[in-house]
Amino acid sequence: MAWSLSSRASQLGPPAAWSLVRGVLPFLACVAVAILAQVILKPFLITTLGWDFAAKMIVDVGINIVLAVSLTLVNGFTGQFSIGHAAFMAVGGYTAAAIVYYGSYRIAGNPDLAGGVLSSMLVGREAPWFTPHDLLFLVAMLAGGVVAALCGYLVGLPSLRLKGDYLAIVTLGFGEIVRVLIQSQTGDVLYDPEEIAQTPAWKLAGSLGGSLGFSGLPFYTSFFWVYLLVLVTLLLAWRIKNSSYGRALISIREDEIASEAMGVDTTRFKIRAFVLSAFLAGCAGALFAHTVGVQLNAAELGFVKSFDIIIMVVLGGLGSISGAVIAAIILTILPEALRGVAEYRMVAYAVALIVMMLVRPKGLLGVHEVWERAAWDWLLGASKRKGAGR
Amino acid sequence: MTLKASAPILEVRNVSKTFGGLKAVTDFALELHKGDLQGLIGPNGAGKTTCFNLLTGVYRPDAGVGERIVLDGQSLVGLRPSRIAAQGLSRTFQNIRLFGELSVLDNVKLACHVRVTYSMLGGVLRTAGCLGQEAAITERAMELLRLFDLHDRAAEQGRHLPYGAQRRLEIARALATSPKVLLLDEPAAGMNPQEKVELAKLIRRVRDEFDVTILLIEHDMGLVMDICERITVLDYGRTIASGTPAHVQADPRVIQAYLGAVDDEPAPAAGGTHA
Ligand SMILES: Nc1ncnc2c1ncn2[C@@H]1O[C@H](COP(=O)(O)OP(=O)(O)OP(=O)(O)O)[C@@H](O)[C@H]1O
Ligand SMILES: [Mg+2]
Repeated sequence: MAWSLSSRASQLGPPAAWSLVRGVLPFLACVAVAILAQVILKPFLITTLGWDFAAKMIVDVGINIVLAVSLTLVNGFTGQFSIGHAAFMAVGGYTAAAIVYYGSYRIAGNPDLAGGVLSSMLVGREAPWFTPHDLLFLVAMLAGGVVAALCGYLVGLPSLRLKGDYLAIVTLGFGEIVRVLIQSQTGDVLYDPEEIAQTPAWKLAGSLGGSLGFSGLPFYTSFFWVYLLVLVTLLLAWRIKNSSYGRALISIREDEIASEAMGVDTTRFKIRAFVLSAFLAGCAGALFAHTVGVQLNAAELGFVKSFDIIIMVVLGGLGSISGAVIAAIILTILPEALRGVAEYRMVAYAVALIVMMLVRPKGLLGVHEVWERAAWDWLLGASKRKGAGR
Repeated sequence: MTLKASAPILEVRNVSKTFGGLKAVTDFALELHKGDLQGLIGPNGAGKTTCFNLLTGVYRPDAGVGERIVLDGQSLVGLRPSRIAAQGLSRTFQNIRLFGELSVLDNVKLACHVRVTYSMLGGVLRTAGCLGQEAAITERAMELLRLFDLHDRAAEQGRHLPYGAQRRLEIARALATSPKVLLLDEPAAGMNPQEKVELAKLIRRVRDEFDVTILLIEHDMGLVMDICERITVLDYGRTIASGTPAHVQADPRVIQAYLGAVDDEPAPAAGGTHA
């Protein structure tokens, strides 16, 4: 053909070195901001202001942002309706927990927190900047992500043949299977160093606490780890959305037949979306498992948790990253603020979802980001229509 | 203009499709040479769109009858639609299928995806290759929009475009995949006479400027007879005539098919103003 993408691209492209800097620098900035949050914001909130509860909320908000944005990749961009997201969180959480807990035993003989300054929400703790245990935690988190991603691949496979409700049922079933397997098929958590030292790794992997939950986990999760993951997730999602790959994902949601006809291998892209989404949810699960005040239990990572995440994605706008972030913030804080009526939460969510589907099926912001005008056109459009009616 | 002696760019033989008991297409055959602008006509339900779906891999042709679809030396039978698009066969849809929530510009940019060589990781890291290709894609998409007089509406959502503009956007999007052969399914449907005249010019221009071969389904006989050099006529899934517009118009079977089958369908001769 007369037009060649590669030759024109090489004329228009920036120098490789410069683009490397521009491409990688934001990721380093994510690390820097996460460190600042941990060493400045955390002590300020907890020690200076005494807002322990706010600090805890900020951790919860962060984890929910990762969950909502990761689900946005599948439900929002690609238009596949997955309702088992919490299961990926559970898989990642339990994987990481087993590695951190039993790994700590193998290394130090006990499961106690031994991370550096960047880990944990404790204040005034004497610790070096970084310890081998931080590395263990990082590896555990990534391993949790990888195992969840493998599950994402398996769940993604039926999505090639199933659409809409049918896929939703498969993902729901997957979520329940994960929950039930962890609850009923895993043995008690071991805590005798001698015994742990002698038990083979594969057997330790099955000693996850069963229906009692995984108790005794060290609380590594901190502002640093949470906001590192949040920022990296946002950067990832944002850059994907604004690349050819993001357009490809969204085109599947808009019209799968046209998408395929325009050269998008819809099978491959759906799987990719599932895998990446599950990876991030698995990492978020790892952070959740090691949060202060959390007793990791698969019972809490069932359908209700998945539904919480879906609500965030749907309210925010199917495909809007900033919408998912805002919805995650509001829907994490709101139930805490309205403690007294918390029992009606699910009812309120269900009603909100139904109303949403009726008046604004693509969520408050649609595919758009908050700062894009198109996100608000519907609001202006609606008010205009109302004005005309009068 | 074209050397008929050279190998055809698109060669189709023995392509049939049965839906349950219905033979939608029977023994479809076609030979397009580089630069051809050919018409595919026939009464409603004749199987024209099904032919497009067979060529682009939406449906698989009935197997075991020596079915053959070869684009520029490459067999397309059994490939998935995205691979066929990558090989250089692109299309528009009779019932418009735009990506409604995407901007007009992004609709066209998406179609450049088949030519993209940077990886997803490259997109996340914004490598030089990614940035260069994105810039080239944007430039190319704007050029195409300008050609189709859509550049003023580049930022609008696809679904907000008026009907005629949506049809033009479909063609622009199909062209963005850099096809060797372009299949247009009723591009003039729903357009007013003025728009149709413009469209006819545009289709010719596209063929000449983009070095692309075009197969066109159209009910507007004036348009078809005007711009197509050759025409194939389908009726009940069978090819009943094939040749120059004048030849086809004079064919008694064609007249019979149009006058006998569907009352509200104008006979080719009646609608055609050009011979
Ligand atoms: N997926 C399908 N399943 C069953 N029958 C089908 C399918 N697609 C098409 N048909 C039938 O095949 C026949 C040919 O349809 P097709 O859409 O190809 O006609 P067409 O020539 O494009 O007509 P029109 O001019 O109305 O667009 C019709 O009888 C139609 O009902
Ligand atoms: Mg048709």
